[in-house]
Amino acid sequence: MEISVDRANEVLIAKVEGRIDGANAREFEDALNGAIGEDDSKVLLDFSTLSYISSAGLRVILLIARLLQKRNAAFALCSLSDPIREVFEISGFDKIISIHDSQAEAVDKIGR
Amino acid sequence: MSRRLSLSLPTKLDQLERIYEAVDELGESEEWPPGMVYQVKLVLEELGVNIVTHGHGGEPDHEFEIVMDTDADALTIELRDEGRAFNPLTDSPEPDVDSGLDDRPVGGLGIYLVRTMMDELSYRREDNTNILTIVKRKENG
Repeated sequence: MEISVDRANEVLIAKVEGRIDGANAREFEDALNGAIGEDDSKVLLDFSTLSYISSAGLRVILLIARLLQKRNAAFALCSLSDPIREVFEISGFDKIISIHDSQAEAVDKIGR
Repeated sequence: MSRRLSLSLPTKLDQLERIYEAVDELGESEEWPPGMVYQVKLVLEELGVNIVTHGHGGEPDHEFEIVMDTDADALTIELRDEGRAFNPLTDSPEPDVDSGLDDRPVGGLGIYLVRTMMDELSYRREDNTNILTIVKRKENG
């Protein structure tokens, strides 16, 4: 699992590559917390190169979403593969976190 | 065509890699749809993590077994471990998948994903062993 960070229209874009599972979810949590600065008010996770996520990763997403909501920061996900989207839908996470088809669409929605 | 693939794994999280490799290999040789490969990996990971962290409380010197049998219609998985008794059909609460962000409990989703993605689950406890049998029919890939 690797995270690379970019910024566009005041949106912090964290692109996650590889796999998030029970063995590395803690590492994912630490990496995200490290990537999101205190001044970031708009955060987007780009999952276009994420190959796998399970409940251990969902737990981290939920914690980050809550943290950002407390700060009144915007939070969204984009570019989920079909199996990953299914995991979010079964878990009901698509009802509490905004999910976009592409990075451009997401930045347009939550960006400045 | 039918195939059997057996794994015997130490109760350590770094063994998950071997599960993914086995599922990839079986899925590739049988041309499962990508969605089915993903679901089978997820189900075995969720249950494997449960066995390692809860069933054996993180003790690394135990073993658990996975046997995957396939035929034309279905994949049947048998999972055996000697950890604490755990019946995923009754011992895991239904998670709350409807409440808002603030009220959402953090756990319980793993077993729910397992129950939702697979077609049949049956559990028995025999001689200090948890035996979970899972069926995934191929047309639902």
